[in-house]
Amino acid sequence: MSILFDGLSLGAIYALIALGYTMVYGIAKMLNFAHGDIIMVGAYSVFVTLASGGHIALACILSIVLCVIMGVVVEKVAYKPLRGSSPLAVLITAIGVSYLLQSISQLIFGADPKNVTIASLGAVTLFGAKISVSSIVTLVIGAVIMAALTVFVKKTRTGRAMVAVSEDKGAAMLMGINVNKIISVTFAIGSALAAAASLFYLMQIPSVEPTLGSMPGIKAFTAAVIGGIGSIPGAMIGGVLLGVIEKVCLSVPVLAPYTTAVEFGLLIVILLVRPIGLLGKKRREKV
Amino acid sequence: MKKFSKVIALLLSLSLVLCFAACGGNTEETTAGSEETTAGSEETTVAADIAYDLTKEGEYTADNTEYVIGATGPLTGDAASYGISVQQGAQLAIDEINAAGGLNGVNFKLDMKDDKATAPDASTGYDALFEAGMQASLGSVTSGSAESFATRAAEDGVFSLTPSASADPVINASNNSFRVCFGDPDNGIMSAEKLAKEYKNIGVIYDSSDAYSSGIYDAFKAKMAELNVTYIEQSFDAENNRDFSTQVEALKDCDVIFLPIYYTEAGLIAKACVAKGCDAFLFGCDGLDGVASQIDATVTNKISYLTPFDVNSEDAKVSAFVTAYETKYSAKPDQFAADGYDAVYAIFEAMKALGVNNVKVDPIELGKALTATFTSADFSFDGVTGGMVWDASGACVKEPIIVELQ
Amino acid sequence: MIKSILKSDDFKLKNCINYIVVAVALVAACTLHGMGELKTSYMNLLVQIGYSIILAVSLNLVVGFLGELSLGHAGFMCVGAYLGTFISMQLSEVIESKIICLLISMLCGGVIAAVFGFLVGLPALRLKGDYLAIVTLAFGEIIRTIFKNLPWFGKAMGLSTGAVKFTKKDTPLFIIVFITVLVVLFLVQNLVRSKHGRAITAIRDNEIAAKAMGINVTFYKLFVFVIAAFFAGVAGVFYGHYTTPVMYTFFSYNYSIEILVMVVLGGMGSINGSIIAATLIPIINFKLQEKLPGDLAALKFLIYALILIGIVIFNNAPKLAPIKEKISIKAIIAKLTAKNRKPEDILNDPAHWDKIPTKISMDEVLSTDIQPGNEYVPDKPEKGGK
Repeated sequence: MSILFDGLSLGAIYALIALGYTMVYGIAKMLNFAHGDIIMVGAYSVFVTLASGGHIALACILSIVLCVIMGVVVEKVAYKPLRGSSPLAVLITAIGVSYLLQSISQLIFGADPKNVTIASLGAVTLFGAKISVSSIVTLVIGAVIMAALTVFVKKTRTGRAMVAVSEDKGAAMLMGINVNKIISVTFAIGSALAAAASLFYLMQIPSVEPTLGSMPGIKAFTAAVIGGIGSIPGAMIGGVLLGVIEKVCLSVPVLAPYTTAVEFGLLIVILLVRPIGLLGKKRREKV
Repeated sequence: MKKFSKVIALLLSLSLVLCFAACGGNTEETTAGSEETTAGSEETTVAADIAYDLTKEGEYTADNTEYVIGATGPLTGDAASYGISVQQGAQLAIDEINAAGGLNGVNFKLDMKDDKATAPDASTGYDALFEAGMQASLGSVTSGSAESFATRAAEDGVFSLTPSASADPVINASNNSFRVCFGDPDNGIMSAEKLAKEYKNIGVIYDSSDAYSSGIYDAFKAKMAELNVTYIEQSFDAENNRDFSTQVEALKDCDVIFLPIYYTEAGLIAKACVAKGCDAFLFGCDGLDGVASQIDATVTNKISYLTPFDVNSEDAKVSAFVTAYETKYSAKPDQFAADGYDAVYAIFEAMKALGVNNVKVDPIELGKALTATFTSADFSFDGVTGGMVWDASGACVKEPIIVELQ
Repeated sequence: MIKSILKSDDFKLKNCINYIVVAVALVAACTLHGMGELKTSYMNLLVQIGYSIILAVSLNLVVGFLGELSLGHAGFMCVGAYLGTFISMQLSEVIESKIICLLISMLCGGVIAAVFGFLVGLPALRLKGDYLAIVTLAFGEIIRTIFKNLPWFGKAMGLSTGAVKFTKKDTPLFIIVFITVLVVLFLVQNLVRSKHGRAITAIRDNEIAAKAMGINVTFYKLFVFVIAAFFAGVAGVFYGHYTTPVMYTFFSYNYSIEILVMVVLGGMGSINGSIIAATLIPIINFKLQEKLPGDLAALKFLIYALILIGIVIFNNAPKLAPIKEKISIKAIIAKLTAKNRKPEDILNDPAHWDKIPTKISMDEVLSTDIQPGNEYVPDKPEKGGK
């Protein structure tokens, strides 16, 4: 039971990161490898605010603001000039940005992990299992953000414009949608999600280092692909599924060292059986 | 078309012929060389009889104006904090030695290359150092790189004294490879004996992806089987897991959790214990040194570890080192820094004992001399990580102390 | 098939310039070594360059010619390094000569890696683009996770290959590596210039059209993955004989990306470009391994990242294309040699098949993006074929 809860709260973090991936991929059609490192930037900003005596709420706001600025700047400087060129070029630039952010943060903060003190919320007993309050908070807020995002995409003008851009960029432009602006907004939202993810990450894993974002980034991308990239509920389901599987594997001593292999193996199996992911939409191939 | 194949065939055969011609010429030289080295290794079995010539000039040391001590270590990447600590500790020792007038007025220099904790970079780093005039070395910081470094150093006969690579293959790689830290099996056996004697419900969390951690765990496992004591094991993979809730959940009823891991993960495990309401005693090895910086007041578990180095020690030598380190780097030294510091001083003391007085001394001759000194019964070194003597395998024998937090 | 790969369709001096350069470099290095002038660090650098060339050229087959992104090339190398070297270590108990051990294990390691290449090729039949990229990345991680936990390969400590490692006393490893490089180049270039190569580029440019032309897409996709994995496996075996221990940490996806960077910097679909980039990157790494105090060592990654971003943006940004055309070396050479060149040459020269833009840019042309100032301008007529 408690394994399930642990898995859910880890999965909620993966899901939040996966949402950022899936939005950017769905709309800008690019794999933003630097997304994980935006989380790292957010985590460092929380660390700095808390270490200099700021309140946790201030830390949240500052980290979201910083991540949004970071995301938009990265998009304008590194990705926008490449719009219209091959996805591979964009992917390589994204990898470059990821390296860049990691080395800058190592230059500023050093390589050793920094301890972040977020007031512990304690633990409660639920269904006979002891669960930390922070994982429950992570789960609840994660679900709220996902629901809000779904509503945003479906009900607001900007949200619908996003869907339009993701369906057909050219047609959207003809309809008078400012594609560049929509893509910037997407990056801003993706980065804000990354900032939120960094907060929940720090609640459960209270330590920051320059390489903090890379592995969760890859795992979350896996989650996004499992769920079907471009689909918001897909990212949620993929993230939670991956989190639970990781925890279940870790709890079996024989299987524990092979956890990563099991997770990625699952990805391959799902893609082979259903190449578009669990909830992905089928796209017809153009000749 | 035929012409094309012919050209290729011609080129290939030409290059083959030339290669073998080149190799042929070379084999003759190397056979002579290998005879010499075999003769050398026969001699090393009787430590006292090694012949060395400390006045000889090395192949690449003609331009040296200082004694060059080389090392590689991770200065970037995931393991960078260990490499940087060693570098800072070693540099502090070098500065102190130079400030005190060096060795007979000749200064020392530390040359450290980044190996990103990978084996091939450690070996290229070694080559670059050797050709830049390195005379003695600190090997490398992490186990895999140190094994690679020591293997290459063994080919030339360069002395290496690794500060922190604790796996046995490192010192087994050559006769001239030594270490300052405890070996992994020592840590595992000492811990198993202590825990089996004092506690009933024992749990272990180890890092299956790390040589240090699984090295200790394997020795621990064997010793526990020998003592016929049961325990619960949990593992993680530091590359992929930073969330320890599951492992702590499985062990929350244990009296003691053995953590043969590094301090970063141990800090996270301690915090996971708080979240899970687990109040087990956390016990670890020297990797846990530094855990104090990773935890905060919320952690109420008792934590202690076996280590040769205690940063809060009252010992005059240690506190002088800690003060000097803090002044220079405005941070407290960890065990890696202390090991780096001791490694440099150990080499310095050995060179002093040998009476080295030739700034261009051949690294190979110096290697033979240092190996003889370190393995000789009357050489001991008293550093900030305790008093040390070395056995013929290159392992360091010293007494652990148990540091308790809170 | 093998016959047509071994026989080249045509012979032109400029097509084998790269063999000559590599061979001359090898001969020069051998001569220097014979004279005792070659430092060990340079010999080891040559080995690194050699296996990097094999890796880059083989990855170029997948990325540049087949047009599929693979982020798991280091995984194949890992298979070769662990299993190939393991076999070599077993052999070394029976056979004394390290060279013979190496040659046999090269074949074994390559074949085993090729089997894995076949397994990864299977999803490639159903998946494309980023999905395939993530599958290859996943494959690389799975391989690594398995090898780091198997007791026969030293677990986390890695496989100690001291018994078979080439030391100073042996024949320098770089000679064998570079002869292999020549063989690999010969096979790959002939493959690319044969009708099979043209079939592969046809699949890259338009899979459905290629299928309609009667090209066996399934076969060729698997074939390319198998060949690329084989060569990566061979490179892995070299790695195992070059350094000890073979550790799983080296084959992380970062290394796959480093190989990809070589391919991209050299130019996708350009074998000569891959060779140059695969020579430069190990040299840069070697030269950058300088002493930088503490965390400043991260500066070199910063520079590396900036170079990467700068070059990619410069090479690919549509807005910079006019500037690029003015100052590119190719344009200058083309201007200088314009007189001697007839258009028919390009059309009829299979060596120019690699000049056709990648599938990815083809797709873009087909799903035209109309943006102000970015209207689609039809390409030069020779692209449409005969």
